[in-house]
Amino acid sequence: MSYQRANPFENASEVAVSTPLAGYWLAILRLLTGWWFFHSGITKIIESGFAYTYGPNYLKEMTGTALGPIPVWMGNNLAWLIKPGVPLFETLIGLAIMAGVLTRLAAFGGAFFMTLFWVGNAEFGHGLVSSDFMGLLLFVTMGALAAGRYFGLDAILERTEFVRNRPKLKYLMG
Amino acid sequence: MNTTYDTIDKAMLGLSGALITLGVVVLGIVEILAGEPYGAAPVEQTNDAGEVVNTIYPAIDPNVRTGLVIAGLVVLLVWGLYRIATPDVDEDSETVGVTAD
Repeated sequence: MSYQRANPFENASEVAVSTPLAGYWLAILRLLTGWWFFHSGITKIIESGFAYTYGPNYLKEMTGTALGPIPVWMGNNLAWLIKPGVPLFETLIGLAIMAGVLTRLAAFGGAFFMTLFWVGNAEFGHGLVSSDFMGLLLFVTMGALAAGRYFGLDAILERTEFVRNRPKLKYLMG
Repeated sequence: MNTTYDTIDKAMLGLSGALITLGVVVLGIVEILAGEPYGAAPVEQTNDAGEVVNTIYPAIDPNVRTGLVIAGLVVLLVWGLYRIATPDVDEDSETVGVTAD
């Protein structure tokens, strides 16, 4: 007599992130994703300081995209923030992701950047899933899996009294 | 941090995943079935001299597809904000029925 489960996917949502290999690989992925952004940001600072004029111009050219008038509006009205912000935030996001500090907040920042790059570059010749989109997914994955808890400083910070008394902070850390 | 998901959580995660999957995979299949171009960008056809003689556009506007994916990501963000805003329920605590006096 054979028995069959009513729901074959009953336990399929359980992710064994606690296995040594999964934690190790998340940490590697986090380090390389962070380096990617850190390198992009720090080299902009070296080359043009905090006056990245290409940023606002790039946004102004993003007409007719799924983001509607938002990028163009940003390019026209937030140039004062974008010029220093692109190199600065890329660098800080990269550092935070690499160190695993405020990982989810940094991952949100990275995902925001990558959404603009994905839509703005529009390199869809080989389909919608471009390298920019894969970068976007990497940041979402960092946030969703709280990658900073694996060999990252968030693992230590989340054990402090300050964070334990404010558990909502784990939505920005992890 | 509450790790149990109620109906609202499941609905928002389901909606987010559905929008992203619709934008990338489902409409990607439609795009393939609709014939060239198989990507999501226009393809220029050239003659032997290299002159562009025709441009073939995707069957589905890439803005629609990217828009669906972005909408899915926004739902995910809104869900995260919702989780921050709602009070945590202590997972270890049990509700004990009490008879009214």
